Amino acid sequence: MIRLRGVRKRYTTNKLVNEVLKGIDLDIEAGEFVAFVGRSGSGKTTLLNIIGALDTDFEGSVEVDGRDIRKLDDAAVSDYRNRNIGFIFQSFHLLEHMTCRENITLPSLFARGEGLLEGPALAARADEVLREVELTEKRDALPSTLSGGQKQRVAIARALFQRPKLMICDEPTGNLDSSTALAILELFRRLNEDHGITLVIVTHDDMISRACKRIVRIDDGRIVEGAGEFGESARQAAREATPEAHP
Amino acid sequence: MRATRLARLALDDLKRNRKHFLLASIGIVVGIAAFTFFLALGGGVRKVVLGKIFPLDKIEVVPKSFDIDVSMLRVPLSNEIINDAKVEQLRAIPNVVAVYPKMKLTIPSMVWGGAKLLGNNLRAELIADGVEPELVAPDIASDYRFADFEAGLAKWDDWKTLPTATVCATDEQCRTEHGDEQFYCWGSEDLAIWNDKLAAAVKKGKPPPKPLGFDPLCRAYIPILVSENIVELYNGSVRRAHNFPKINPDSAMGFTFDLTFGASMVDASARDRVVEAKGILVGVSDKAIALGMTLPVGYVRRLNVEFNEADDASKYHSAVIKVGSKDDVAGVALAVKALDLDVTDTGAEQAALLITIFMMVFGFVSIVIVGIAAVNIMHVFFMLIYERQREIGIMRAVGASRRDIRRIILGEAAIVGAIAGVIGVLMAFGAGDVFDWISASYIPDFPFKPKTYFEFPAVLIAASFLFAIGFCVLGAFFPANRAARTDPARVLTGQ
Repeated sequence: MIRLRGVRKRYTTNKLVNEVLKGIDLDIEAGEFVAFVGRSGSGKTTLLNIIGALDTDFEGSVEVDGRDIRKLDDAAVSDYRNRNIGFIFQSFHLLEHMTCRENITLPSLFARGEGLLEGPALAARADEVLREVELTEKRDALPSTLSGGQKQRVAIARALFQRPKLMICDEPTGNLDSSTALAILELFRRLNEDHGITLVIVTHDDMISRACKRIVRIDDGRIVEGAGEFGESARQAAREATPEAHP
Repeated sequence: MRATRLARLALDDLKRNRKHFLLASIGIVVGIAAFTFFLALGGGVRKVVLGKIFPLDKIEVVPKSFDIDVSMLRVPLSNEIINDAKVEQLRAIPNVVAVYPKMKLTIPSMVWGGAKLLGNNLRAELIADGVEPELVAPDIASDYRFADFEAGLAKWDDWKTLPTATVCATDEQCRTEHGDEQFYCWGSEDLAIWNDKLAAAVKKGKPPPKPLGFDPLCRAYIPILVSENIVELYNGSVRRAHNFPKINPDSAMGFTFDLTFGASMVDASARDRVVEAKGILVGVSDKAIALGMTLPVGYVRRLNVEFNEADDASKYHSAVIKVGSKDDVAGVALAVKALDLDVTDTGAEQAALLITIFMMVFGFVSIVIVGIAAVNIMHVFFMLIYERQREIGIMRAVGASRRDIRRIILGEAAIVGAIAGVIGVLMAFGAGDVFDWISASYIPDFPFKPKTYFEFPAVLIAASFLFAIGFCVLGAFFPANRAARTDPARVLTGQ
């Protein structure tokens, strides 16, 4: 489903170049439940942004279902995000002035073609995802009246609204207590197993990473574990070429 | 993104940030109000000046004059006449829509009357000219007609042979009989005097007076037009000298007076015979003679022929040329001069130039105000975009393209502009009404004082409205581009 080859990402600050990703090769198949783990600053979130097409300014290639997202123009990338990807962030990123229902249906504002829902179909889909995250009674509530767990559920409902193939989660339980985090994890598992949604999660939480079917460990911009078959062979080749750089 | 969804989103954003937008739009409101106000004022003044004082789409043509001054006298050396042939030549000039020859009354005449209107009868020398009724048709008061009711007659007194000249005793009888308010009973006053004399003679047992010698007959009044100048002259000066009331021209319509042609207060000028008629005021027109009365040209022609020569029937003293467009006036004026005629200098072109300069200056000032307001709008949008970058990042993450973000911001700007435009235009209307009210209540009357100084044509309102939207959108253009370039990864994940 997703194929990354030689992905590099550099930031330049005050003429100082900081290479955050140093040649990532990674394959993620449809229906996988993957955790990106690693120390802070290792490049996990940057990699997540690239997979989610939030960041298209990088070297290398990212293919999704055979399409190189770097070669898509802004409208096509936006459409790709709208149809295929649901984002979940540590700090929820809900729009505080909108009700839960309005937040959930936000992606429909930017949908085109088949993804465009209006009127009763829009309302029905909003109710459906609210039921999925067990927040039906909060549909007209403002985010400021919700608990952290409820906010994250609203964010998950928003991510689910367009029936994405892939959900990108950046520290989704980072701001939640352990029991709420467990409930969110259970929800993720259900989405993965019942709906076949591919989940890629950046986490520091061992409970989350242990629950994932695959763990990709990143260190200093490189995948050091869990890259998959291609990643392992590529890493082996790199070790042989530069043994001092790959201990 | 559909327009309805865009509008809804933009309206929600405007509601949330209404205080910011309210402050930002004040400049646009003031600028658009000033723009609309000044252009409407310019348009209104232009309408009065060029429509009434110096009509620019009609030019008056006079014979070229070559005079020499001999002591106190100025001796004309040229022919002061425009004849039928010249009129035809004028009609042949390209872009000339119509030619209306004007004929001066070349006999001494007197006017008498006014008691009903002024409280006292006035007697004055009459200066008059004649015009084609078609030229002044728009200026005739409703319920009145400006026409030659005795057209086609060879002699002045032949009116008595008209079928309408029925025997009568009172004016009312004529009006009823002919169903026309512009009829009166000619000779009825003489008949009344004769009847009084007869009654007195019978009472005193004396023989009856000599018979009147004619029957009073129904006759149409000669319709009369006066110029606004004469109304202004009367209201501004004459009435003060005689302690007469001020005249409202609209209510003076239908006012009648006696006309005596061939008579004069200057004994040497009076002719051997006189003819009499009655006139009725039917309108005020800028095409009427400045100081005098204007009649249908047929009456003037018959009088000139009656008292002078037969060929006076085709001796005109000027002609009014109606030009297709104001832009064609210069070309037509050149062609007129080529025919050995002159165009009277009304000052219209200078007036038009002055008004145009006035409108340009104030229009420019207004544009500067709106321009500064647009910069203010830009600052507000930059600030709001900075505050809303997380929100924009979220929209980008859920599928908004750069174009969508740009459209949302520009849509908000357009709505701000539309609202500011409507308020600005309404303010201009309000300011215009206040200005007119102050003028009507506190500014003393002056010649050609208009009821309103403003003209708000639909095109001005539409232009002001679009102008407001355009400047707001222009002000938001750079902020919208910056918003569209918002990096969602940076604002949402800090990467």
